[in-house]
Amino acid sequence: MADNVTFTINEKEVSVPARTLLVDAARMAGVEIPVFCSHPKLDPVGCCRMCLVEVDGPRGTAMMASCTMPVGDGMVVRTDTEQVRTVQEANLAFILLNHPLDCPICDKGGECPLQDQTMRFGPGISQLIEPKRLAKKHYDISDTIVLDQERCVLCWRCIRYLEEWEDKPQLGLFERGNETIVDIQEGRPVDAKTGGNIIDLCPVGALTNRVSRFAYRPWEIERTPSICMHCSVGCNVRLDSRTHQLRRIVGRENMQVNDQWICDKGRFAHAWVNDENRLAAPLVRKNGKLTAVQWSEALAYIAAKLTDIKEKFGADSIGAIGSGKISNESNYALQRFMRGVIGTNNIDHRDGGDVAALPTGLPALTEVMKPQYGPDPQVDTVLLFGVDPSEELPVLDLHLKRAVLRGGAKLIIAHPRKVELTRYDGPYLAYQPGGEPALLGRLQQAVENSGTSENGSAIGAAAKLLTESERTLIIYGPMAARGKDGPAVRDALEGLAQAAGEGARLAYVGLDGNAQGCRDMGVLPDQLPGQFPLDDDEARSRLEKLWGCTLSTFAGYTYKQMLDSQEMKALFVNGANPADESPDWAASLDNLDLLVVTDLLSTETAQKADVVLPALGWSESDGTYTNLERRVQRAPKAVTNPKSRAAPDWMMLMHLAKQMGVEWSFSDARSVTAEIATAVPAYSGLSWEALGDQGSQWDADAAPAEAEQGSTRGASADGPDNSEYPLSLVTGTVLYDGGTLFGLTEEMHGIAHGAKVTLNPADAAAIGVDAGSKVSVHSEQGSLELEAAVDAQVQTGTAWIPESLPGAPVGALLNGSNTQQVKVERR
Amino acid sequence: MELGNFLKGATEIGKAMGVTLKHLRQRPVTVEFPHEDIPIYPRFRGRHELRRYANGLERCIGCSLCEAACPTEAIYVEAAENDPNAPLSPGERHAKVYELNLLRCVFCGDCEEACPTEAIVLGHDFAMANYERKDFVLTKEELLNPGMPKVIIRPE
Repeated sequence: MADNVTFTINEKEVSVPARTLLVDAARMAGVEIPVFCSHPKLDPVGCCRMCLVEVDGPRGTAMMASCTMPVGDGMVVRTDTEQVRTVQEANLAFILLNHPLDCPICDKGGECPLQDQTMRFGPGISQLIEPKRLAKKHYDISDTIVLDQERCVLCWRCIRYLEEWEDKPQLGLFERGNETIVDIQEGRPVDAKTGGNIIDLCPVGALTNRVSRFAYRPWEIERTPSICMHCSVGCNVRLDSRTHQLRRIVGRENMQVNDQWICDKGRFAHAWVNDENRLAAPLVRKNGKLTAVQWSEALAYIAAKLTDIKEKFGADSIGAIGSGKISNESNYALQRFMRGVIGTNNIDHRDGGDVAALPTGLPALTEVMKPQYGPDPQVDTVLLFGVDPSEELPVLDLHLKRAVLRGGAKLIIAHPRKVELTRYDGPYLAYQPGGEPALLGRLQQAVENSGTSENGSAIGAAAKLLTESERTLIIYGPMAARGKDGPAVRDALEGLAQAAGEGARLAYVGLDGNAQGCRDMGVLPDQLPGQFPLDDDEARSRLEKLWGCTLSTFAGYTYKQMLDSQEMKALFVNGANPADESPDWAASLDNLDLLVVTDLLSTETAQKADVVLPALGWSESDGTYTNLERRVQRAPKAVTNPKSRAAPDWMMLMHLAKQMGVEWSFSDARSVTAEIATAVPAYSGLSWEALGDQGSQWDADAAPAEAEQGSTRGASADGPDNSEYPLSLVTGTVLYDGGTLFGLTEEMHGIAHGAKVTLNPADAAAIGVDAGSKVSVHSEQGSLELEAAVDAQVQTGTAWIPESLPGAPVGALLNGSNTQQVKVERR
Repeated sequence: MELGNFLKGATEIGKAMGVTLKHLRQRPVTVEFPHEDIPIYPRFRGRHELRRYANGLERCIGCSLCEAACPTEAIYVEAAENDPNAPLSPGERHAKVYELNLLRCVFCGDCEEACPTEAIVLGHDFAMANYERKDFVLTKEELLNPGMPKVIIRPE
């Protein structure tokens, strides 16, 4: 820190950075000042008056609110005098005037700052005989948050969080004086995607968790530091468990990743962990029915079948699908099994070989973060291309909003929908699926001629911003770079980044929790672990030595090719659900000789399987996950189901390998982590112990130089203008989808997206549908029955149907590319 | 000498017979349990009971404070939310599961002390023998419906 100031607190001289608030300075000096409204991540308001301390001033000693007062040089502060104690006691008595003291039934009881401070600083007796104020108790301000107005001490923390971080002022104070209450506006629940953080912030039990309501008491839970796996931000969380059950998730601070915030999906959608329908025993199809068997029988059956298929049809008739939702260890073991035991490169995941990605993800999340007391973000302009952080990466969304509001960053958004972040008036560049290369071409041209070619338009404004900014970050996601146009889009983005100047960088972010790790582990048909190309001799010989086998140099099938191809005879599906994505794929899975599904729940794909292996997932087995900025983080085992016979993936694959004559020497998940550190040079040194509770980023320079992509997959022309199918289909991810991991949390059904197609009001009027009408959507491939919704966020000429909706696989409409024309009809 | 011994022996026998004769006039202390009730003091700490209010609502709100106070971890509580239309207890919260392991319990009464609603009390039933280990774990149903112990409360 540049300049320090020295002050005296309780006769002790302490030096702290200038502009530090007195309350924080005291904490640094080891002096506790009780607070309710003050919070190190929110602006000071000084409304609870709990933090009054004696400060010597020019006009004598005064009682000052330490949470709003910056430390001055030579200041003399006392926190332990009789007067301070009297004021603290009086204040607590005042705060408790209307507090109902229903601690026995309050979820905060046991970890409540008000309880703790009443015990430490309170008067010890109550002189109150008057009746307390009555207000609304336990009423829902959203589907997941319960408000108890009687317990509220009016500290403004929730209000300030929603204003300062979420930029959605959805809570406020109403009435005056003794009647003051915190409330939502009539009929408008809190819908901020990270609104659940106000539960953690509340210093009393006014805001509590609807999903975990009454499910735990703070003194009886086990706390496991872990990470969230719902998206690739990899927020740090704490898992609170008891009696083999996950009871609650709260945010955990990691200033490199999520500050201390987590989104509502990460906080509330955990019912699947203890769901009673979890697979608990291996199943083998006998007489057409999946029957529970012993592990040995299931593995022997798979091994015999695989050996048979390999002999008859060759190793390349066997494939495996990994997943960005499962750990590095699981993915690594799966690809080692395919490459080392089966001898094929047919291994991929959903956003794998079909997406033109970049190897290293974001440079660092801290570059876009603006903590309360910290440096400004290092980037000055962020171009989001085909990424909607509000739905896909909510905590990145939070960081970006903060960077715009407090860090002076500018946003440029290019997306088929006018996404939520467009409310910060950066240029919004609309395009329709398939129009990405054209848009990027125009943008690059405009950047090169300083905006003259697009004068006055959004593209011109964007080009001007890109030219002016010194540290641009361009972020694109899998939706923009999928299918045969993918490489063209990526090349165009690279061109744009070059044109935008030296400080401009381009980053690809995957969306699944372990999207980056999945690539790093080599769950790709054309890359070995460490993202080395198959023909990299050094990488290959290293792995051959480590695994004791010879590796194939022929690129395998991608995810889509494996599912489309008729030549596949056996398929491993681990943590993926292709049958739910498209009816065609569901049919092609039926034609396989052997389908082995490893999953947590009986998915549509698992119901088609010949063998279903019950897996241990996140929170049940040790695993590491790599987030979108290459941070490898630990997710240790927190709960166990004593009745389940499920096993971690590496263990089942190790036993299967043994049945097929290959000995692996893993003893536990951490030994797999250790082998990954050997097999992937970028992960060297990242052992379980070394990762610690905050994770560790792998060095971007350790990634192999990007291989030249063949030009076999050329860019397509603009989408055909089909008058029979007038609307262009826009698909993508929504936060509250119908996926298995989200859908099992019943409390959140009310906010789930639902099986809907969203249209622009103009298109809806032209077709004659209103919000809520039943419609059918047709394409050349098939049709879907959905409910209509109308939103100006959707451009004219497009129809927005997200992926993973309950009972509505958008894949039914797609022909495999990311451009598809549809028509919507009332039914 | 012999006479002396004889007299000494006779005195001793007389003393002993005196004790016998004295007790012959008193009522016997043996109680023919279970055919007769046993007298105990009101503060006797026996088998636990969960009490109800006069209107039939359970006193227990599932706060788990008894569980926290229990030195032997004999109590297990799971709370749940009341259905507002058919509440089990006053307020928002009730005990969904309340289990008490008599094999662990040391009958210290700390649960009684901790209870904010005087729901859990140590009753007067002392006849807790059973045939199966699992039967020593009292469920909420058993705690709410204690039998009539065969006791007479005697004055302190």
